[in-house]
Amino acid sequence: MEALKLKLKQQIIEALNLQDTKPEDIDDNAPLFGEGLGLDSIDSLELMVLLERNYHIKVEDPREGRKILQSVQTMAEFIQSKQPA
Amino acid sequence: MAERVFITGIGMISAIGSNVMENLRSLRLQQTGLGYTKFIDTIHRNTLPVAEVPQSTPELAAMAGMEGTAGYTRTALLGLVAMQESLQSAGIADATALPAAFINASTVGGMCDTEQVYFDILDPSKEGTFLQFIDTLDCADCTQRIADAVGINEYVATISTACSSSANALMYGARMIRQGLVQRAVCGGTEALTRFTMNGFNSLKNIDKQFCRPFDQHRNGLNLGEGAAYLVLESESLVRERGARVLAELSGWCNTNEAFHPTAPSPEGDGAYGAMKNALAMSGRSAEDVQYVNVHGTATLNNDASEGKALERLFGGNVPKFSSTKPFTGHTLAAAGAIEAIYAVLSIDQQMIFPNLNFSEKMEELNIVPETQLLEEYPVRNVISNSFGFGGNNASLVISKYEG
Amino acid sequence: MKGRFYIQGTAAISPQESFSGEFTPQLLTLADKNLLRVKEPDYRAFIAPNSLRRMSRVLKMGLTTAIRCLQNSGVAVPDAIITGTGKGSLHDTERFLHDIRRYSETALNPTPFIQSTYNSVNGLVALQVQCTEYNNTFVHRGFSFEHALLDAMMLLSEGRAGNVLAGAFDEMSDEYFYIRSRIGSWKEQLTQPEEMFTAGTPGALSGEGSAFFVLSSTPSDVHIAGLKMLYKPSQERVHETLEAFLRQHGLQPSDIGLLISGRSGDTNFDHYYHALTAQYFPQTPEVPFKQLCGEYDTAASFALWLAVERMRKEELRHVLIYNQFFGEQHTFILLGR
Repeated sequence: MEALKLKLKQQIIEALNLQDTKPEDIDDNAPLFGEGLGLDSIDSLELMVLLERNYHIKVEDPREGRKILQSVQTMAEFIQSKQPA
Repeated sequence: MAERVFITGIGMISAIGSNVMENLRSLRLQQTGLGYTKFIDTIHRNTLPVAEVPQSTPELAAMAGMEGTAGYTRTALLGLVAMQESLQSAGIADATALPAAFINASTVGGMCDTEQVYFDILDPSKEGTFLQFIDTLDCADCTQRIADAVGINEYVATISTACSSSANALMYGARMIRQGLVQRAVCGGTEALTRFTMNGFNSLKNIDKQFCRPFDQHRNGLNLGEGAAYLVLESESLVRERGARVLAELSGWCNTNEAFHPTAPSPEGDGAYGAMKNALAMSGRSAEDVQYVNVHGTATLNNDASEGKALERLFGGNVPKFSSTKPFTGHTLAAAGAIEAIYAVLSIDQQMIFPNLNFSEKMEELNIVPETQLLEEYPVRNVISNSFGFGGNNASLVISKYEG
Repeated sequence: MKGRFYIQGTAAISPQESFSGEFTPQLLTLADKNLLRVKEPDYRAFIAPNSLRRMSRVLKMGLTTAIRCLQNSGVAVPDAIITGTGKGSLHDTERFLHDIRRYSETALNPTPFIQSTYNSVNGLVALQVQCTEYNNTFVHRGFSFEHALLDAMMLLSEGRAGNVLAGAFDEMSDEYFYIRSRIGSWKEQLTQPEEMFTAGTPGALSGEGSAFFVLSSTPSDVHIAGLKMLYKPSQERVHETLEAFLRQHGLQPSDIGLLISGRSGDTNFDHYYHALTAQYFPQTPEVPFKQLCGEYDTAASFALWLAVERMRKEELRHVLIYNQFFGEQHTFILLGR
């Protein structure tokens, strides 16, 4: 789980081009949108693309996406729940 | 005193008809143009509904009298078919006889044809007739092909403000007439379906896999369409001089920007409200004078909520009849403003209000519902036509009955 | 059209050192292809990091030029934002076309699609300065910038705006450079800007740039007196139109103190300039500009920027810009003091 979260942070930084951000700057539970990292609705679409390209998980409904993309923690939990044990 | 601007000719092609009369017939019969693509090479062909013009590109070339002419894209041919009808409708046999403007609109120009040969163009080892499509990549190509075919050359321009493009083309042409730069401007837009735009809107997750449901609680996005429409605008003095038949008056317009987000409107519909309010003020009409609003109504979550709020703010408890005709034509992007401006003219001319198809449940954020029935013999004198788009671009037009 | 349209301020990003400091024209040395690339400033001074991270090249360039122009004009929020661009964000259009192919139409990032929309720079400018008024984008090759200017002039004439921000931007990508080379738009052999007028070969040197202007009815040192566009004209019609255009402004060719011409050394089209100068301006100083910025759809915006620079430094009463784009779109812009 920790390894997955670190990898996710690196992938988020790369996908969203968060140039001055390092993985350790992102708190596992900090909100990605609004305050937190200050991401917006286009970023949320990009993060869904990230999930699809890297983890082969397709999120169809933007409303569902919003729940999954609350924080790195919720993203990691969602990815784990979709992967075979 | 600036001159009044009259609409003296209309021409169009869409998924529900290859001329104005066919469009009117389909609206009356409540026949949608939505279905699945025959012509686009895409993995979404059976899943994402579109409103495609049924004619193939060679068939369109034949309709436009351009058979065997090289380099005409589907976008240019759709436009030419609509342009020819608009001139004919205005009783203009020779468009070159008078210095005129052609103000066109497009969002992706000849992409429909370019995307099919793009990687061949990039491949130095390939040569062939596809090279004639190199210059069709931009939006000006279709405009010039159409202008050249009918001989309009005093002013030639192309506007691209996403989904409000052709409403802005109409405004620009009308303003040129009021400035006295020209006495006649043919304005509108043309748009062909492309793999590019289908994937673009799909990547934004705002295409509905069902037929679109504007202003419905369960709406889930738009469906793309294609088509072209042009309106012949003429100054009052030219109309008198040549005894032209007036179809309606373009009495007001306004362009605003949301300055809110690259792809989303403000939740309270500030831009939509400002555009409608100012267009109405310019027309010298008040809110009570409006009988019908042809809304932008794309059926995306954001648009309809925001546009609905704007209607409630402008009209209070007396919102006039309103409907989105996008379930008939799909969202034709740069052509939408002109297609719907023609529907506004028809609404006045036929005293008719067109139904908003696929509606079943009121949106929870709103107190209003669209008109779902075809209303005939309805006294329509003033129509607001809305077009809103990416980049926060909003445009509203007021089209009024000609009363001498 | 009635009224005078005064230029309150300008800004340009170009292959020259035009963005800050004193401008001195420089002839670049091209290394490998006939393309003059812009010198990009540090965008971080103009755009917030959170916005900057997603923007592609021409968006940053256009937005920054627009913001700088407003600063140079002392205008916080204009009453209208109008731009012209021939090609918009080529990088985004290309990226989305490649993504569609590479990922077989699945899992596509929407950003290049959004940014490929021609009005995206306009939207960003409006968003950054919170301008909710008139906003328009023209996309018509060698008329894109000119229609943006005409629209701005009409708004001022209608009394609907006090300050209008009008400008243009175009970039050249490697891919589109290659595409245009397939139809002979550029010179085949590597040609330096200093040799371009004497090479005697077909094709131009490619270029790119962004230039913005604030126009208003409030008097300033330079104004746009007139603008005339000509679509696919014959040589005779260019000449007749010039005569009528000058006459309309009460001028003779000899009243023009400086002619800024779009000569590019392209033997296919330079005859328009040669014939015009020979007949009307044999004694008038002529300054070409495409050796400085290259050829692109909205190169006339750099010419206007250059004209304002010259008029601020020299005693010139009337300056005329004549430009044409691959023979199709011809433009006269008349400037006065």
